[in-house]
Amino acid sequence: MASAETRYADPTALHGFARALDACHDAAAPGALVASGDGWVIASTARLPGGVPVPGGAGAAVAMAGGAPAAPAEVLEAFADGLVRLHREAVRGVLDAAVARLDQRRSEGANLLNRQLVQGAVADVALVLSEAEDLLALADPTAGRRRHVHRRLVTAGRAALQLHGASGFVATGPGSLLHLTELLGNTYLHPGER
Amino acid sequence: MSHTPDEPPPGPDPHRTAVLRSHVREAARELREAGLEIDRDPTAIDRHLHLAAVDIMRRCTVPVEYLAEPVRAGGHTFDMSSCLEHTITIEELSYGDAGFMLACPGPLMSGVAVSALGDDKQRHAYYQRLAGPDPVWTFFGLTEPEKGSAATELETALTPDGDGFRLDGAKAYVGNAAYAQLGVVFCRRAPGPLGIEAVLVDTSSPGFHAEPIPTVGMRGARISAITLRDVRVEREQILGYDTLKPTRRGLVGAIRTLQRFRPVLAGTAVGLARAVLDHVREQRPAPTGTARLRYEEVRDRLAAVRRRNYEVAAAIDAGSVRADRIAAVKTRAAELAEEATVVAAELLGPGALAADPYLNKLHRDARAFEFMEGTGHIQRLAVFQGVVKRTFLA
Repeated sequence: MASAETRYADPTALHGFARALDACHDAAAPGALVASGDGWVIASTARLPGGVPVPGGAGAAVAMAGGAPAAPAEVLEAFADGLVRLHREAVRGVLDAAVARLDQRRSEGANLLNRQLVQGAVADVALVLSEAEDLLALADPTAGRRRHVHRRLVTAGRAALQLHGASGFVATGPGSLLHLTELLGNTYLHPGER
Repeated sequence: MSHTPDEPPPGPDPHRTAVLRSHVREAARELREAGLEIDRDPTAIDRHLHLAAVDIMRRCTVPVEYLAEPVRAGGHTFDMSSCLEHTITIEELSYGDAGFMLACPGPLMSGVAVSALGDDKQRHAYYQRLAGPDPVWTFFGLTEPEKGSAATELETALTPDGDGFRLDGAKAYVGNAAYAQLGVVFCRRAPGPLGIEAVLVDTSSPGFHAEPIPTVGMRGARISAITLRDVRVEREQILGYDTLKPTRRGLVGAIRTLQRFRPVLAGTAVGLARAVLDHVREQRPAPTGTARLRYEEVRDRLAAVRRRNYEVAAAIDAGSVRADRIAAVKTRAAELAEEATVVAAELLGPGALAADPYLNKLHRDARAFEFMEGTGHIQRLAVFQGVVKRTFLA
């Protein structure tokens, strides 16, 4: 547990996420960067040196618009699959860190993790993570399925963040990490309809 | 025809389970109208005892050696002692009508308790009675009015009385109790978790009284309240009393039965959710825009929880009982059944719940799953423990 907390309390966790994002690019399009349907590319600073820092991304990721043609559909789909899995892992890490943190905190003489409301909130997030795993394992993935898994992970991620209290709002912490996952989903998984 | 694809479930013999599914699905076809009738009058099951689905429920989990005609299909014989086969059977019957399925005579949960805890003599007497020519309804009496289904806190008392015992207390929300001939009552013989016993009770015993509790939906479950006043209990009615140590009976049996039955209950919820989605598809074959996306989202979630439920049931058959995963799949299936009915009511437009009796019934029925076999809150505590122990998302 402590290692998970360290991972997400440490600003390098954001850079670890950015490196995992680069790995998603490589898995979908080896040696290249995948552009969204609108021509946006988001990657780590190292991978996209000319990019502009993503607002709220704490310097871990940069973006570039209009610099690349949209990726072919099959590449974009493969990248989107990787992105949703990365999102799930990020929420899971934030949840693990919250459990570790609450296990160390006491209020009114009691361990916060022993509060039934807290336990219910942890379980709710875990249930969404379990469902996301099962949905991603189904045959014939669709853009609609990825989008709704992403939406549910956004909700679950914010619930996991609430367990961190105000520390979840610190720029170098899990709040920025989950902001990046939401921004990536908005960029790459958006159906294109307003 | 279901719009949820039938993926082969895990297990040693996918062909066998496919044969079973097809056989039960055929029997479930005739349950829709009868289910609506039972919703209006829960005693109407008595008029449908000739249906093939009733035969399946009567024989479900009764060992084949007790049956003159066990369930046979495609060259296979089924007794549903496999949790996966039991789950598939109940899912398909619930696709026909969950209320009808629960109104049927047969062992249901009491059979799982007798199988888990009873000695040879007790099992023999129980199964002989269940396999007899007359339909026998059973009940599983765990929940109490003041304690819910918290097995460790139950208060129904088993007190020594001469060479036997007497039973005093109350049970609530027990399916079929007011109509049953026998069932299992969980009670306390001594303080602490090891003082809990499971007792086979004949409902004709003096001091046993049960009456139906009117409910919003799932009226076929015939949920009842039981009062027990000086009910005479012989030592041989206590499951496993002469063969199992106190650490292996009573509470252990309650937990084991609930865990074994939760995928089956999840199968009931999945069957109902499938029925809801297919009903939407029939009434609105080509939804567009947001309606289509909402439909597809629920359909996908249903496919995911159904697949997970089969995995959990197969794991139980393989001897692996993971409380956190069992709790999670029951919770997800119960929530999804409710959500499917809510989405269906929206997709079928204003007034659909008033104008469409079948949708109305499913909409009410789906709300029962939240509390059956342990509420969502209780299940969440098991999931939480799995997160802390790092087993749940492993």
